[in-house]
Amino acid sequence: MYKYFISICLLFVFAENYSQEQKKDSIIYQEKDTVIYKTNYGLRLGMDISRPLFSSLYSNYNGLEIIADYRIKKNVYIAAEIGFEEKTSIEDYSNSTSKGNYIRLGLNYNAYDNWLDMNNEIFVGYRYGFSLFNQTLNNYTTNVSDMENGSYFPAVLNTVGQASTSLNTHWSEFMIGIKAETLHNLFIGFSFSYKILMSVKDPENFMTLFSPGFNRIFESNTGFGINYTISYLIPFSKK
Amino acid sequence: MKKNILFLVLLTGIFTACEKDDFCIENPVTSKLIIDFYDDTNRETLKNVQRFSIIAEGKTDSLFVNKTFNSISIPLNSLTLETIYTLKKNDDTGAAADNKKEFVSRSCGFKVIFNNLEFSSNTNSWITDFTPTTIINLDDQSTAHVQIFH
Repeated sequence: MYKYFISICLLFVFAENYSQEQKKDSIIYQEKDTVIYKTNYGLRLGMDISRPLFSSLYSNYNGLEIIADYRIKKNVYIAAEIGFEEKTSIEDYSNSTSKGNYIRLGLNYNAYDNWLDMNNEIFVGYRYGFSLFNQTLNNYTTNVSDMENGSYFPAVLNTVGQASTSLNTHWSEFMIGIKAETLHNLFIGFSFSYKILMSVKDPENFMTLFSPGFNRIFESNTGFGINYTISYLIPFSKK
Repeated sequence: MKKNILFLVLLTGIFTACEKDDFCIENPVTSKLIIDFYDDTNRETLKNVQRFSIIAEGKTDSLFVNKTFNSISIPLNSLTLETIYTLKKNDDTGAAADNKKEFVSRSCGFKVIFNNLEFSSNTNSWITDFTPTTIINLDDQSTAHVQIFH
Protein backbone atom coordinates (compact mmCIF):
# COMPACT_ATOMS: atom_id res chain seq x y z
CA MET A 1 0.00 0.00 0.00
CA TYR A 2 2.74 2.51 1.06
CA LYS A 3 4.55 1.72 -2.13
CA TYR A 4 1.95 3.54 -4.22
CA PHE A 5 1.47 6.66 -2.09
CA ILE A 6 3.47 8.98 -4.28
CA SER A 7 1.98 7.57 -7.42
CA ILE A 8 -1.53 8.15 -6.10
CA CYS A 9 -0.69 11.75 -5.27
CA LEU A 10 0.59 12.35 -8.75
CA LEU A 11 -2.64 11.05 -10.12
CA PHE A 12 -4.63 13.67 -8.20
CA VAL A 13 -2.36 16.45 -9.35
CA PHE A 14 -3.14 15.56 -12.88
CA ALA A 15 -6.85 15.40 -12.18
CA GLU A 16 -6.80 18.85 -10.65
CA ASN A 17 -4.87 20.29 -13.52
CA TYR A 18 -7.49 19.17 -15.91
CA SER A 19 -10.30 20.52 -13.82
CA GLN A 20 -8.76 24.03 -13.88
CA GLU A 21 -8.81 24.38 -17.60
CA GLN A 22 -11.22 26.98 -18.84
CA LYS A 23 -13.39 27.06 -21.86
CA LYS A 24 -12.24 29.67 -24.28
CA ASP A 25 -15.46 31.69 -24.59
CA SER A 26 -16.62 31.70 -21.00
CA ILE A 27 -16.92 35.09 -19.23
CA ILE A 28 -15.56 35.37 -15.74
CA TYR A 29 -17.75 37.02 -13.16
CA GLN A 30 -15.68 38.02 -10.25
CA GLU A 31 -17.35 39.20 -7.10
CA LYS A 32 -15.94 42.34 -5.54
CA ASP A 33 -14.32 41.99 -2.10
CA THR A 34 -16.93 43.56 0.15
CA VAL A 35 -15.69 42.30 3.49
CA ILE A 36 -15.60 45.16 6.05
CA TYR A 37 -13.43 44.59 9.05
CA LYS A 38 -15.23 45.81 12.13
CA THR A 39 -13.44 47.05 15.19
CA ASN A 40 -14.60 47.65 18.72
CA TYR A 41 -15.90 51.01 19.84
CA GLY A 42 -16.16 51.77 23.51
CA LEU A 43 -14.67 53.20 26.63
CA ARG A 44 -11.04 52.46 27.30
CA LEU A 45 -9.95 52.72 30.92
CA GLY A 46 -6.48 52.38 32.32
CA MET A 47 -3.63 53.81 34.29
CA ASP A 48 -0.18 55.19 33.86
CA ILE A 49 2.29 52.60 35.12
CA SER A 50 5.34 54.83 35.01
CA ARG A 51 4.10 56.94 37.90
CA PRO A 52 3.86 54.19 40.54
CA LEU A 53 7.25 53.02 39.27
CA PHE A 54 8.83 56.45 39.71
CA SER A 55 7.14 56.72 43.12
CA SER A 56 8.96 53.62 44.29
CA LEU A 57 12.26 54.62 42.67
CA TYR A 58 12.49 58.22 43.86
CA SER A 59 11.90 59.29 47.42
CA ASN A 60 10.97 62.84 46.38
CA TYR A 61 8.13 61.79 44.06
CA ASN A 62 4.65 60.36 44.46
CA GLY A 63 2.09 60.06 41.72
CA LEU A 64 -0.85 58.26 40.24
CA GLU A 65 -2.75 58.76 37.00
CA ILE A 66 -5.98 57.27 35.66
CA ILE A 67 -6.52 57.48 31.92
CA ALA A 68 -9.63 57.09 29.79
CA ASP A 69 -10.61 57.54 26.18
CA TYR A 70 -13.75 57.12 24.13
CA ARG A 71 -13.77 56.45 20.40
CA ILE A 72 -16.09 58.79 18.55
CA LYS A 73 -14.96 58.25 14.95
CA LYS A 74 -12.82 55.73 13.14
CA ASN A 75 -9.69 57.71 13.90
CA VAL A 76 -10.73 60.12 16.62
CA TYR A 77 -10.82 59.57 20.36
CA ILE A 78 -11.85 61.85 23.20
CA ALA A 79 -9.20 61.38 25.86
CA ALA A 80 -8.75 62.42 29.46
CA GLU A 81 -6.29 61.85 32.27
CA ILE A 82 -6.75 62.67 35.91
CA GLY A 83 -4.08 62.29 38.51
CA PHE A 84 -2.31 63.21 41.69
CA GLU A 85 1.32 64.17 42.03
CA GLU A 86 3.64 65.24 44.81
CA LYS A 87 7.18 66.27 44.17
CA THR A 88 9.98 67.86 46.16
CA SER A 89 12.16 70.06 43.99
CA ILE A 90 15.69 70.12 45.33
CA GLU A 91 17.56 73.11 43.94
CA ASP A 92 20.91 74.70 44.79
CA TYR A 93 19.36 77.40 46.96
CA SER A 94 15.87 76.10 47.74
CA ASN A 95 13.87 73.02 48.60
CA SER A 96 10.14 73.03 47.94
CA THR A 97 7.30 70.54 47.67
CA SER A 98 4.39 70.75 45.24
CA LYS A 99 1.36 68.60 45.84
CA GLY A 100 -1.99 68.47 44.09
CA ASN A 101 -4.39 67.15 41.49
CA TYR A 102 -4.74 67.67 37.79
CA ILE A 103 -6.93 66.89 34.81
CA ARG A 104 -6.07 66.81 31.14
CA LEU A 105 -8.78 66.80 28.48
CA GLY A 106 -8.51 66.54 24.73
CA LEU A 107 -8.49 64.54 21.52
CA ASN A 108 -6.33 61.86 19.96
CA TYR A 109 -6.13 61.37 16.23
CA ASN A 110 -4.98 57.98 15.02
CA ALA A 111 -2.70 58.39 12.02
CA TYR A 112 -2.09 54.67 11.56
CA ASP A 113 -3.82 52.54 8.88
CA ASN A 114 -4.64 49.23 10.47
CA TRP A 115 -4.51 45.89 8.67
CA LEU A 116 -7.69 43.87 8.66
CA ASP A 117 -9.38 44.14 12.05
CA MET A 118 -6.32 45.18 14.00
CA ASN A 119 -6.71 48.04 16.39
CA ASN A 120 -3.35 49.71 16.91
CA GLU A 121 -2.56 53.39 17.00
CA ILE A 122 0.13 55.85 16.19
CA PHE A 123 -1.53 58.97 17.39
CA VAL A 124 -1.12 62.69 17.78
CA GLY A 125 -3.10 64.49 20.41
CA TYR A 126 -3.95 67.75 22.03
CA ARG A 127 -4.77 68.29 25.68
CA TYR A 128 -5.91 71.17 27.79
CA GLY A 129 -4.53 70.75 31.28
CA PHE A 130 -5.55 72.20 34.60
CA SER A 131 -3.96 71.65 37.96
CA LEU A 132 -4.85 72.74 41.47
CA PHE A 133 -2.10 72.36 44.05
CA ASN A 134 -0.20 73.60 47.07
CA GLN A 135 3.48 74.41 47.19
CA THR A 136 5.52 74.63 50.35
CA LEU A 137 8.94 76.22 50.47
CA ASN A 138 10.61 73.88 52.95
CA ASN A 139 13.87 75.74 53.28
CA TYR A 140 16.21 78.04 51.42
CA THR A 141 19.62 79.63 51.60
CA THR A 142 20.13 83.20 50.50
CA ASN A 143 22.54 83.56 47.63
CA VAL A 144 25.17 85.93 48.97
CA SER A 145 28.25 84.56 47.26
CA ASP A 146 29.87 86.11 44.23
CA MET A 147 32.66 85.32 41.84
CA GLU A 148 35.22 87.80 43.16
CA ASN A 149 35.01 87.13 46.88
CA GLY A 150 33.23 83.79 47.11
CA SER A 151 31.21 83.58 50.32
CA TYR A 152 32.94 86.21 52.45
CA PHE A 153 30.00 86.32 54.82
CA PRO A 154 28.14 83.16 55.73
CA ALA A 155 24.57 82.41 54.73
CA VAL A 156 22.29 80.35 56.94
CA LEU A 157 19.68 77.82 55.98
CA ASN A 158 16.25 79.32 56.56
CA THR A 159 13.93 76.53 57.60
CA VAL A 160 10.76 78.55 58.06
CA GLY A 161 8.16 76.67 56.06
CA GLN A 162 6.22 78.92 53.75
CA ALA A 163 3.07 77.19 52.49
CA SER A 164 1.11 78.55 49.55
CA THR A 165 -2.30 77.02 48.99
CA SER A 166 -4.73 76.94 46.05
CA LEU A 167 -2.18 77.61 43.35
CA ASN A 168 -3.16 76.68 39.83
CA THR A 169 -1.80 76.23 36.34
CA HIS A 170 -3.43 75.99 32.91
CA TRP A 171 -1.57 74.60 29.96
CA SER A 172 -1.75 73.24 26.43
CA GLU A 173 -0.16 69.97 25.56
CA PHE A 174 0.80 68.30 22.29
CA MET A 175 1.27 64.56 22.33
CA ILE A 176 2.63 61.90 20.07
CA GLY A 177 2.44 58.25 20.94
CA ILE A 178 1.63 54.66 20.17
CA LYS A 179 -0.89 52.16 21.45
CA ALA A 180 -0.84 48.47 20.70
CA GLU A 181 -3.46 45.84 21.40
CA THR A 182 -1.36 43.18 23.07
CA LEU A 183 -4.15 40.92 24.30
CA HIS A 184 -7.78 41.01 23.25
CA ASN A 185 -9.02 44.49 24.27
CA LEU A 186 -5.91 45.13 26.39
CA PHE A 187 -3.69 47.98 25.24
CA ILE A 188 -0.20 49.10 26.12
CA GLY A 189 0.77 52.60 25.14
CA PHE A 190 3.59 55.04 25.24
CA SER A 191 3.42 58.74 24.56
CA PHE A 192 5.55 61.83 24.78
CA SER A 193 4.15 65.28 25.32
CA TYR A 194 5.32 68.85 25.01
CA LYS A 195 3.55 71.33 27.23
CA ILE A 196 3.17 75.07 27.01
CA LEU A 197 2.10 76.92 30.11
CA MET A 198 -0.79 79.32 29.54
CA SER A 199 -1.16 80.71 33.03
CA VAL A 200 0.29 80.08 36.44
CA LYS A 201 -0.49 81.41 39.88
CA ASP A 202 2.86 81.68 41.63
CA PRO A 203 3.38 81.78 45.39
CA GLU A 204 4.23 85.18 46.79
CA ASN A 205 7.93 86.00 46.52
CA PHE A 206 8.63 82.59 45.06
CA MET A 207 7.66 80.70 41.93
CA THR A 208 5.99 77.46 40.96
CA LEU A 209 8.86 75.11 40.23
CA PHE A 210 6.74 72.00 39.70
CA SER A 211 3.08 71.70 38.82
CA PRO A 212 1.25 68.37 39.07
CA GLY A 213 0.43 67.07 35.59
CA PHE A 214 2.77 69.56 33.99
CA ASN A 215 6.05 68.49 35.59
CA ARG A 216 8.98 70.81 36.05
CA ILE A 217 8.30 74.29 34.70
CA PHE A 218 11.25 75.38 32.62
CA GLU A 219 12.39 79.01 32.27
CA SER A 220 10.54 79.44 28.98
CA ASN A 221 7.29 78.25 30.65
CA THR A 222 7.38 74.91 28.87
CA GLY A 223 7.54 71.35 30.04
CA PHE A 224 7.78 67.75 28.96
CA GLY A 225 6.02 64.58 29.97
CA ILE A 226 5.89 60.90 29.21
CA ASN A 227 3.15 58.36 29.74
CA TYR A 228 3.48 54.62 29.83
CA THR A 229 -0.01 53.25 30.03
CA ILE A 230 -1.91 50.02 30.28
CA SER A 231 -5.61 50.14 29.49
CA TYR A 232 -8.62 47.91 28.89
CA LEU A 233 -11.30 48.52 26.29
CA ILE A 234 -14.87 47.98 27.37
CA PRO A 235 -16.53 47.44 23.99
CA PHE A 236 -19.96 49.03 23.47
CA SER A 237 -20.40 48.29 19.79
CA LYS A 238 -18.66 47.04 16.67
CA LYS A 239 -18.45 49.32 13.69
CA MET B 1 -2.01 63.57 4.75
CA LYS B 2 -1.46 61.45 7.82
CA LYS B 3 2.26 61.35 7.22
CA ASN B 4 2.25 65.12 6.87
CA ILE B 5 0.55 65.56 10.24
CA LEU B 6 3.07 63.31 11.94
CA PHE B 7 5.90 65.11 10.22
CA LEU B 8 4.55 68.50 11.27
CA VAL B 9 4.19 67.46 14.88
CA LEU B 10 7.73 66.09 14.93
CA LEU B 11 9.09 69.22 13.30
CA THR B 12 7.39 71.63 15.70
CA GLY B 13 8.60 69.42 18.52
CA ILE B 14 12.17 69.66 17.33
CA PHE B 15 12.06 73.42 16.88
CA THR B 16 10.24 74.34 20.05
CA ALA B 17 11.72 71.75 22.39
CA CYS B 18 15.09 73.50 22.63
CA GLU B 19 15.28 74.52 26.26
CA LYS B 20 17.55 77.11 27.77
CA ASP B 21 19.87 75.68 30.38
CA ASP B 22 18.78 76.90 33.75
CA PHE B 23 22.10 78.11 35.10
CA CYS B 24 22.49 81.10 37.35
CA ILE B 25 24.42 83.63 35.31
CA GLU B 26 23.77 86.64 37.52
CA ASN B 27 26.85 87.81 39.33
CA PRO B 28 26.45 88.86 42.04
CA VAL B 29 22.90 87.81 42.87
CA THR B 30 22.86 89.80 46.09
CA SER B 31 24.00 93.36 45.41
CA LYS B 32 27.32 94.45 46.78
CA LEU B 33 28.14 97.89 48.05
CA ILE B 34 30.16 99.84 45.48
CA ILE B 35 32.48 102.52 46.78
CA ASP B 36 34.35 105.02 44.61
CA PHE B 37 37.35 106.93 45.87
CA TYR B 38 37.67 110.60 44.88
CA ASP B 39 40.29 113.27 45.35
CA ASP B 40 39.44 115.49 48.29
CA THR B 41 40.69 118.69 46.69
CA ASN B 42 39.53 118.00 43.16
CA ARG B 43 36.21 116.32 43.90
CA GLU B 44 35.36 115.38 40.31
CA THR B 45 38.30 113.08 39.75
CA LEU B 46 38.83 109.55 40.98
CA LYS B 47 41.92 109.01 43.05
CA ASN B 48 43.61 105.70 43.69
CA VAL B 49 44.12 104.42 47.19
CA GLN B 50 47.59 102.90 47.44
CA ARG B 51 48.43 99.76 49.40
CA PHE B 52 44.82 99.35 50.33
CA SER B 53 43.54 96.51 52.53
CA ILE B 54 40.05 95.85 53.73
CA ILE B 55 38.77 93.46 56.37
CA ALA B 56 35.42 93.05 58.04
CA GLU B 57 35.07 93.04 61.79
CA GLY B 58 35.19 89.53 63.19
CA LYS B 59 36.84 88.09 60.11
CA THR B 60 40.37 86.80 60.01
CA ASP B 61 40.79 86.90 56.25
CA SER B 62 40.95 90.16 54.36
CA LEU B 63 38.76 90.88 51.38
CA PHE B 64 41.67 92.57 49.62
CA VAL B 65 45.25 93.06 50.69
CA ASN B 66 47.70 95.64 49.38
CA LYS B 67 45.83 96.53 46.25
CA THR B 68 45.53 99.83 44.45
CA PHE B 69 41.97 100.85 43.69
CA ASN B 70 39.81 103.79 42.95
CA SER B 71 36.64 101.69 43.12
CA ILE B 72 35.72 98.60 45.08
CA SER B 73 32.63 96.52 45.63
CA ILE B 74 32.20 94.86 48.98
CA PRO B 75 29.66 92.33 50.23
CA LEU B 76 27.55 93.12 53.27
CA ASN B 77 26.69 90.64 55.99
CA SER B 78 23.03 89.64 55.68
CA LEU B 79 22.96 87.95 59.08
CA THR B 80 23.85 90.98 61.18
CA LEU B 81 22.34 94.43 61.31
CA GLU B 82 25.72 96.08 61.09
CA THR B 83 28.71 95.38 58.89
CA ILE B 84 31.93 97.06 59.98
CA TYR B 85 34.86 97.16 57.61
CA THR B 86 38.31 98.36 58.38
CA LEU B 87 39.69 100.14 55.35
CA LYS B 88 43.42 100.10 55.92
CA LYS B 89 45.12 103.20 55.75
CA ASN B 90 43.54 102.84 59.19
CA ASP B 91 39.87 103.62 59.32
CA ASP B 92 36.52 102.11 60.13
CA THR B 93 33.41 102.51 58.15
CA GLY B 94 30.16 101.01 59.30
CA ALA B 95 27.10 100.14 57.30
CA ALA B 96 23.90 99.36 59.14
CA ALA B 97 20.94 97.89 57.30
CA ASP B 98 17.72 95.95 57.53
CA ASN B 99 17.33 93.39 54.83
CA LYS B 100 14.69 91.41 53.05
CA LYS B 101 14.90 88.35 50.83
CA GLU B 102 13.64 88.40 47.30
CA PHE B 103 13.30 85.42 44.99
CA VAL B 104 15.29 85.65 41.77
CA SER B 105 15.05 82.33 39.94
CA ARG B 106 15.21 78.57 40.30
CA SER B 107 18.96 78.45 39.80
CA CYS B 108 19.91 81.72 41.52
CA GLY B 109 17.64 81.31 44.52
CA PHE B 110 16.95 84.20 46.86
CA LYS B 111 18.91 87.41 46.96
CA VAL B 112 19.19 89.79 49.85
CA ILE B 113 18.12 93.39 49.41
CA PHE B 114 19.57 95.69 52.02
CA ASN B 115 17.20 98.45 53.09
CA ASN B 116 17.77 101.72 54.89
CA LEU B 117 21.51 101.64 54.88
CA GLU B 118 23.35 104.14 57.05
CA PHE B 119 27.04 104.83 56.73
CA SER B 120 29.41 106.17 59.32
CA SER B 121 33.10 106.57 59.60
CA ASN B 122 35.61 107.30 62.32
CA THR B 123 36.83 110.83 62.50
CA ASN B 124 40.56 111.35 62.53
CA SER B 125 41.36 109.22 59.53
CA TRP B 126 42.62 109.36 56.00
CA ILE B 127 39.01 109.66 54.87
CA THR B 128 38.06 113.30 54.90
CA ASP B 129 34.47 112.99 53.75
CA PHE B 130 31.93 110.63 52.22
CA THR B 131 28.53 110.92 50.59
CA PRO B 132 25.71 109.91 50.87
CA THR B 133 25.13 108.88 54.48
CA THR B 134 22.00 106.82 53.77
CA ILE B 135 20.68 104.56 51.03
CA ILE B 136 17.12 103.28 50.95
CA ASN B 137 17.62 100.22 48.74
CA LEU B 138 20.80 98.43 47.76
CA ASP B 139 19.57 96.67 44.65
CA ASP B 140 21.61 97.99 41.76
CA GLN B 141 25.11 97.28 40.53
CA SER B 142 25.41 99.82 37.74
CA THR B 143 26.68 102.83 39.66
CA ALA B 144 28.65 103.48 42.81
CA HIS B 145 26.67 103.76 46.01
CA VAL B 146 29.13 105.68 48.14
CA GLN B 147 31.81 108.22 47.27
CA ILE B 148 34.74 108.51 49.63
CA PHE B 149 37.02 111.53 49.46
CA HIS B 150 40.61 111.38 50.55
